[in-house]
Amino acid sequence: MANMIVASTKTLITSSPSLPPTTTTPRPKFHLPHISLPRLPKLLSLKSAALIAATTTTSLSLAPLPSMAEEIEKAALFEFNLTLPIMMAQFLLLMVALDKIYYSPLGKFMDERNAAIKEKLNSVKDTSGEVKQLEEQAAAVMKAVRAEISAALNQMKKETAAEVEMKLAEGRKKVEAELQEALAVLEKQKEDTIKALDSQIAALSQQIVNKVLPL
Amino acid sequence: MNVLSCSINTLKGLYDISGVEVGQHFYWQIGGFQVHAQVLITSWVVIAILLGSATLAVRNPQTIPTDGQNFFEYVLEFIRDVSKTQIGEEYGSWVPFIGTMFLFIFVSNWSGALLPWKIIQLPHGELAAPTNDINTTVALALLTSVAYFYAGLTKKGLGYFGKYIQPTPILLPINILEDFTKPLSLSFRLFGNILADELVVVVLVSLVPSIVPIPVMFLGLFTSGIQALIFATLAAAYIGESMEGHH
Repeated sequence: MANMIVASTKTLITSSPSLPPTTTTPRPKFHLPHISLPRLPKLLSLKSAALIAATTTTSLSLAPLPSMAEEIEKAALFEFNLTLPIMMAQFLLLMVALDKIYYSPLGKFMDERNAAIKEKLNSVKDTSGEVKQLEEQAAAVMKAVRAEISAALNQMKKETAAEVEMKLAEGRKKVEAELQEALAVLEKQKEDTIKALDSQIAALSQQIVNKVLPL
Repeated sequence: MNVLSCSINTLKGLYDISGVEVGQHFYWQIGGFQVHAQVLITSWVVIAILLGSATLAVRNPQTIPTDGQNFFEYVLEFIRDVSKTQIGEEYGSWVPFIGTMFLFIFVSNWSGALLPWKIIQLPHGELAAPTNDINTTVALALLTSVAYFYAGLTKKGLGYFGKYIQPTPILLPINILEDFTKPLSLSFRLFGNILADELVVVVLVSLVPSIVPIPVMFLGLFTSGIQALIFATLAAAYIGESMEGHH
């Protein structure tokens, strides 16, 4: 893998010195993004640069280049070593540790809290049912009381009505009796008067006769 | 010749200013093996950040979450959501894996862009995001492969290998190939994105030191986040895929 990178740097190195003979302008700016040229400047002595410039691009595997590749510190981008198993072990340890201090305790805490809240919520719902029941009970009581009251009222009304009726009847009877009595007295008086008048009529008629017929 | 040396000097000067180093490593020897020390150092910083902030935020959870706890709860909800979407109802035991995958990659990527690593001079190579080293990304991708094999085998036993001839046995080679392309694409996607992002920023900074690189830096932050999400989502998707039943 490292060779790949080194190989890629080789082509870059060889192409840049081959340019100057054709173009006179220096163009360092073009090479700025090539960040994979770590130790390039100090390696490229003028001698080797001249050598490279002399050779064509097909001479990549010629003498100076392997030494260059050795001198360039290995750009070990894809180098595997003991770091890998150590990272694995570290990760597993981190996982266990985080589980002990973070996931398990906090997760348990959160679950418990959720359960508690749910329970409280349910209990609140239950009391609302209770309230409803109480309300129903109250309504029933009110209904019963109302019925009772209306019944009592009705009965009282009936009683009073009966009493009033009775008293009325009594009073009427009394009045009738008094009337009867008064009528009877009146009748008697009338008869008496008539009788008295009858006796007087005889005397008066005698007087009239005596007056009219002076005998 | 004059022109050539001139151009070489210019190049050298620019190179010294920009200080672009690709594939340069700071080596440590551990038991006869070499390791990329700069990757390990930055990964330790990332791990310290993760563990430290998580410990601080979750130390004393409140019923009504405070700022830090709120943020970590949001992150956990997010991870659970990703896992649940990709894996399904049995996502619970995979939350640590997916979550750590996401958080580690995310913090690594952002650390490369946000932490001033350049302050610390190494004898060789330079500090950068741990995810711009191929070892890290391949390690994570291989762990993902192991994870989805483990998920499939524990769920379905040896019947898991039945999926290789699932629609028709003709697809057997392609199905086997998939097991190789999955970690390959995972690791190279992450590695390439992060390395390219950091290189673009460095090169732009070396060319135009002010203002112009800022949009690219923001683009880099965006890409980093997206890459972390993609890695975690794909890992979850692979696990979910190997766990789902082929009826």
